[in-house]
Order: sequence, then C-alpha cells, then structure tokens
Amino acid sequence: MRDVFAGIGFMIAGIVTIITAQQFPTLPSLQYGPSLFPSLVGGGFCIGGAVLTLNSLWQRRKAAAQEVQDDPTLATSPPEKMGWAMVLPPIAIVFYILASDYLGAMLTITIIMFLLMLLRKTKIYVALITSVVMSSAIYFIFSHYLLIPLPQGVLLGGSLPWIS
Amino acid sequence: MNGVGLVLNFDTILVILAASLFGIFVGAVPGLTATMAVALLVPLTFYMDTIPAIAAIVTTSAMAIFAGDIPGTYLNIPGTPASAAYVGESHALAKKGRAREALGINLVCSVFGGIFGTIILIVVAQSLAEVALKFSAFEYFWLAVLGLSCSIFISVGSRTKAFLSLLFGVLLSTVGLDMMSGAPRFTFGVPDLMAGINFIPVMIGMFALNELMSYYGSKSEKKTISVVDKDSVFHNVPRHVKRYWRNMVRGSSIGTMIGALPGAGADIAAWISYGVGKGRSKDSSKYGTGNIEGIVDASSANNSGISGAWVPALVFGIPGDSITAIVIGVLYMKGMNPGPTIFMDGSGLIYALFIVFILANLMMLPIGYMAIRLSKLFILTPSRVLMPIILCFCIVGAFAINNSVVDIWLMLIVGLVAYLLAVNDFPMAPAILGLVLGSVVENNFMSAMLRTGGDLTSFFARPISAGLGIAVILLWCSPLLIKAYRYQKRKSERASA
Repeated sequence: MRDVFAGIGFMIAGIVTIITAQQFPTLPSLQYGPSLFPSLVGGGFCIGGAVLTLNSLWQRRKAAAQEVQDDPTLATSPPEKMGWAMVLPPIAIVFYILASDYLGAMLTITIIMFLLMLLRKTKIYVALITSVVMSSAIYFIFSHYLLIPLPQGVLLGGSLPWIS
Repeated sequence: MNGVGLVLNFDTILVILAASLFGIFVGAVPGLTATMAVALLVPLTFYMDTIPAIAAIVTTSAMAIFAGDIPGTYLNIPGTPASAAYVGESHALAKKGRAREALGINLVCSVFGGIFGTIILIVVAQSLAEVALKFSAFEYFWLAVLGLSCSIFISVGSRTKAFLSLLFGVLLSTVGLDMMSGAPRFTFGVPDLMAGINFIPVMIGMFALNELMSYYGSKSEKKTISVVDKDSVFHNVPRHVKRYWRNMVRGSSIGTMIGALPGAGADIAAWISYGVGKGRSKDSSKYGTGNIEGIVDASSANNSGISGAWVPALVFGIPGDSITAIVIGVLYMKGMNPGPTIFMDGSGLIYALFIVFILANLMMLPIGYMAIRLSKLFILTPSRVLMPIILCFCIVGAFAINNSVVDIWLMLIVGLVAYLLAVNDFPMAPAILGLVLGSVVENNFMSAMLRTGGDLTSFFARPISAGLGIAVILLWCSPLLIKAYRYQKRKSERASA
C-alpha cells in the first residue's frame, strides 16, 4: 500500500516541478532553456510514480485474489510498524537551530546528547559525563582547531575561554 | 618522486593513522556504514590540504569495509552492508570457536583485494586518461548518462524506485542559478541556494541523518557475544591462502570491475562475487555452514571494489559508488577537477594518491590485527550513547562548511526525504549519483547544443560519442531484449517438444 502513496506523491511532485519550471525565463537565442531539465525530471516523476502506483495496485489485486482463494483470513496484511522515536533526530536539529543563538552551540549540543541518551535508558551519570565531555570536544575541535564561528549564545555572553 | 614527498610527511601519516582508527571504529559498530563514516569526515577534510584530505577518505573507507566483518562474525550483524553477503559463513565459523581464524582470513583477503584493486587502478586509469583527453562535451554527456543508467540497472530491487531516486538527485542538482541564462531555479528566494545545493549537508542528511532516524525508529538493541574466541588470528591463514588463492584473484577481479561501474559499490561486489564463488565451487553444499571459500571470494571483492570505484571517478569524474561521489565533491571544493588532466598536470598528486592507497591497505594488517584482538570493545560500544554524539557532530559539521544555518535546514530536509525513501525500499546510491552527475549531464548538453545550434543529431556525429550513445540505448533496451530472447527460446522449446 505504501508504494501506492509513494507513487502518488511522486506524481504530485512531478506536476509541481513542471509547473514551477514553466515560470523560468527563456532566452530567444537559446533553443533549450533553463526549464528543460527540470521539466524532464518532472515528467520522469510522473511516469515513474504512475508505474509504481499501477504496479503496486496490480500486485495487490493479484495477491488478494490468490489469498482469498487459499485462505480468506489472510487477505489483509498486518500493518507495518514504524517507531515514533524516529522523529527525535529531526526535533533535536530544529531545537538546535532555534536554541543555539541563545544557549550557544556547546550548551545546546550538551542538552541534546544528554536527553537523547536518557531516552534510550542510559545510566544518568554515564549520560552526563559523556555528553559534557563529547560536546566540549566537538566544540573545541570546530571552534578552536577549524575556526568555525559556532554560536556562543547570549546566555554565556561569549565567556568561553578558547574563542577570542 | 614528487608524490612520495607529498605523502611521507608527519601530518599526512598522522591523518592516515587517525583515519584508520576512525574507520575501524565506524565499520565495527553495527548501523554505521562506510559511506556514513566518509560523510562525517568531510566537514573535517574541508579544512585539510588535498592529500591528507584524500588520504583520510581512502583510509577510512578501506578500514571500515574490513571492520564491518567484525560484528558480522561475532554477532551475525554486518557492520556495513558490504559484509552482509557472507556474515552467515563467518558467524557459523565463530560458533565453532574459529572467530579469529575467520577474521584473520577476512583481513588478509581485504588487504589483498585492496592492493589488487589499486594496481588495476594504477595500470588502467593512466591509459584510460589518455583516451579521455580526446573527449569533448558530447562524450562527457553520454558518459554521464551511461553512469546514471548503470546505477538504475545494477541496483538491487525495483528499477522504478531506483529511477525515481535518481531523478530526486538530478532535481537537487538543478537548484541554483542556471548556467546559461543565469535565471535562479528552485531557490525560493534563499540567497544561500543561488550557488546551487551544497553537497556536504546533502550527503550528511542522506547517509547519516537517515541512518540515525532508522536507529531511533527501531527497537532498542541488546548486543551480547556468546562465542568463544581462543584461536589464533593468523595461524591458519597461509594454509587457506595456498588453497584458495585463485578465489582471491577472482574475487578481487570481480570486485574491481563491479566497483568501477557507476552506482554499484562494495556491497554489490561482495554479493556477486559470493554468488559466482558458490556457483563455481567444488563443494558448494558446504556454503552457509561456515565455509572459508565463500569468505575469501566476497571479502576480497568488497575491498577491491572500493579501489575500483576510483577508476571512473578519477579519469572521467564519474563516481563508481557513493563514497567516490563524496570524493568528487571534495575534489571540486578543493578546486581540483577530476578528469584526465589530473594525470598530466605534473603535480605528482595522482602518484601521491596511489601511494596513499597502498599505504592504507598495508596498514590495515597491523591495525586490523589489533582491531580483531580488541573486537569486543568496539562492538559492545552502546549505540544509545554513540548515536546522540553522531547527531551533534552532523549538526555542527553541516554548519561548518559555510557557517550557515541554511545548510542545517538542508541536511534536515534531505535527511527526512531520504528516510521516507529508504523505509520504502528506494535505494540511495542512484540519488547521490544523480546529484553529482545531473549537472554534468545538463552542462555538457547545453554547451554541446550551443556549439551546434541545437542539432540533436550531433550527439551521434563523432565515433566515440556515437558508440557511447548506442551503449546507452542498448542498456535501456536490455530488459526488452532479454524478454524477447526468453520468449523466442520458450517458443522454440515448445515447438521442438
């Protein structure tokens, strides 16, 4: 069933791509404008999506017909499980983007590490020590060694020692 | 001689050493792949000189592919997908108390495969480069199309999905200012996107964030080692090598060839070599019960595949697998365009690269030995502690390339899309090839059309270009041709019966 949705999703994406591409300017001197490749990709999305959807529907019908013949109770497949926890990394990233300007990069990644470790039932002292040590290490490598201006944060007021 | 000087200095050796340990670690932890190791490394290599940067990538990938065998042997969980083909064999040996023997032969085959692939790389790349010097936009257009097509037809599973995954990559490659007209495409008013999609956040999203999300989406794991390993690592290796040296050569040859095909990397090389080995073995019934022969074939193949993938990457700028796709991105960032001129510019860079390859593979022997002795330490590292650290490294790494928050958003969005695609069995390798080769296809097409005034037949006007074009058409028709052949065969069989 998922393939049907994926196929429909690709077809929609294809149509949106083509419509967007039509608004790109064309130059009279050029036979093939900037919209050519995006339009081809959009067309490919539509065709591929349609094939995926039809294929999946056709196979479901075939499988259903077979299973009903063999054993009618098996006609519905069990729903596939997908853990809700998979949203944790994206949430952590959004949290970093929103919070790092205020809290500073180092504190933000310490919090992310600590909470994520606790969520998977790490012992609290292990989580605390590892997250503090590792976030300091990452912060040190990137800001001191690679000279990346990681956000220092309003909270600490730029008081961290290794950045001038 | 220039090349030796570039490699044999303190900094580069130190980088190789550090990368070895990093590669072994990432490879040996189940759930972290060799590609992910390289993607995580890129933000750091961005700030290194070219040779240490490339050395770090070469060493990490080679070590990670070997180290993937360690958890495969002890836990029956492949550390990287490239070890998946033969975990059954090595784990069966481990259950018989021969874990270290299995890993010893794995290690020697990996080193042999890696060096074999490197020798082929040295021999073939140089002569291919001379041919490639004659190439123009027409040939590069077809070559890139051929590379993209290969990635669809070689991929395991649904070709429709591989095709859609590829188009996703190509679409990403069109973002930014158009080369010909200067018109912004899909930039949504974000100035950071004008120069095009930044490669590194995309890689981190596709290969690291995606894996992190699958880890959190799965049930928590419990890793316990129940096998005893009191045997010696290298004691039985000479005997096995003497008996199976043909398998080593065959596995390495297959691996190098498969690796050189765009879109097929070490994992597919290992599967195919394992299959070929099983088909040609005298005692194929022993396969699956802990057969050294199967390990030899596949373990030589995956490491030689890593080296083989560099052939098209260096000569044509067409990546042979997702790792070399990242490498090409790194080379471009360093202002070094992969292509035949790399062999002739006299900088000694290419020789330095060859030396790095040999060095990395030779260093695998002592470091691999150490890793085998310490394997419990690696594979019992709890993922629940490791994964949050990797996530934070991803965030800071994505930011570090341009010091821009837009890149973190980009990593997040691409990671989400990649996760959705991956859980629905879409392969990722075509997408990354699409991203790298999409602009190659488009730019060469446009400049060819500009030169000939929009005459499409010009793509078949030059001999090499026409040959490549026909190869592409044949590849696309191959499923039809195979069907027609089978139909004819069945028809004639029925007629004769």
